[in-house]
Amino acid sequence: MLTRLARAVLFGPALAFVPLGAGAHEIVGNRFFPATLVADDPGINDELSLPTASLFKNSDIPSVNELDIAVEFSKRITDDFALIVQPTWTHLYVPGGPLGNGASGFQNLETTAKYRLYKNPEHEFVVSVGLVAEWANTGAKSLSVDTFTTYTPTLYFGKGFGDLPDAVWWARPFAVTGVFGYAIPSRSRTITTTVDPDSGDVSVDDSPNPRFFNWGGSLQYSMPYMKTAVNDFGLPDFFNHLIPIVEASLQTPVSNFAGLDLKTTGTINPGVLWVGDYFQVGVEAIVPVNRQSGTSVGVIAQLHLYLDDLFPTTIGKPIFGGPVTPAKPF
Amino acid sequence: MKNKTIILSAFVLLAASIPAGAHAMLDHADPRVGNTVKSSPSAVTLWFTQKLEPAFSSAQVTNASGAVVSTGASVSGTVMRVGVRSLPPGTYRVHWKVLSVDTHTTEGNFTFRVGQ
Repeated sequence: MLTRLARAVLFGPALAFVPLGAGAHEIVGNRFFPATLVADDPGINDELSLPTASLFKNSDIPSVNELDIAVEFSKRITDDFALIVQPTWTHLYVPGGPLGNGASGFQNLETTAKYRLYKNPEHEFVVSVGLVAEWANTGAKSLSVDTFTTYTPTLYFGKGFGDLPDAVWWARPFAVTGVFGYAIPSRSRTITTTVDPDSGDVSVDDSPNPRFFNWGGSLQYSMPYMKTAVNDFGLPDFFNHLIPIVEASLQTPVSNFAGLDLKTTGTINPGVLWVGDYFQVGVEAIVPVNRQSGTSVGVIAQLHLYLDDLFPTTIGKPIFGGPVTPAKPF
Repeated sequence: MKNKTIILSAFVLLAASIPAGAHAMLDHADPRVGNTVKSSPSAVTLWFTQKLEPAFSSAQVTNASGAVVSTGASVSGTVMRVGVRSLPPGTYRVHWKVLSVDTHTTEGNFTFRVGQ
């Protein structure tokens, strides 16, 4: 996905997509980390995002309106290990697409294997590692999907600030998540041969497939945390379910881009989540950081179902492993 | 499109028909989280979002020096009651750890103040 973004920058008529995060909610001590919309988070759980929809003006030249609709299914194999599948359907409005009359289809399929390395309830800290794969040629040719697979080893973390001193009690609802990945294409170059239908001339395009550093995260302020762990102000219940959030998802070219005019691209996404017992909803703005990332502010929204809470004894529990460890009474 | 609508509708109906059992999260407490009461309460009461397993759910209250000032906890449905000794003015921390009836474990803590 990210390499495709770089190619969009390079060749203009190619396509670019807003990366959609593979997020899952996570509970670490007092802290509830919600599923994020754009930047992958450390959560490992049984969940279903149905759907995540985004509408924005992409980075193509000329820029066109793009609608992405993604479904994300996360399934725990063990309590600490999950597999995530995320198909995304894209529609490019006119004058997008190879013929300028729009295009639709699935992007290359993205999968993630994620493992929780460390969890510290006292300090509301969690670390996970994962391998994200975007599989070659699994999407629509009309979207000019990558013809190579991209593997991205990724590190995720989450940290809540509930351990701050009393003097800054108001800051305890803050939490951050972070994601750092290194995207490695399965082929270092892509060679495309084109035959002119009129003249029969053959042209060969040989372009490198750059490697990228993917980085981002979120800053969140949890009103549920404020009510249940810091100070219950007696606010209306609706406000006690809100988590204002700012996400960021960026990609920086690292290697194999000699001769290419590549820059860091990405989006900043301010918005708000509403979290309930069984689901959450979220909406965020999509603010491109430069022209190579898009041309105007878009929007992304998500309905996210907590399968572990909806179906705790069937599809919402790990495939392997015994019952959840009981609490130890004091 | 019709098939997608049918599948989505089926899922929503399925979700609505199955008795769910989410994590038991603290909903509210008395004394209220982070608030001050004029005099010592006889107990701290915690309301959770799900029913609790009494055998694996408990809580205790400690004073500013970490000494336990609670006398035991009892559970009834979604409510936990933690008895406390007569509390002099000061700040107290409630530590809770519970198991919901669907085996999800959660824990947390908060403070309240007496007479300050």
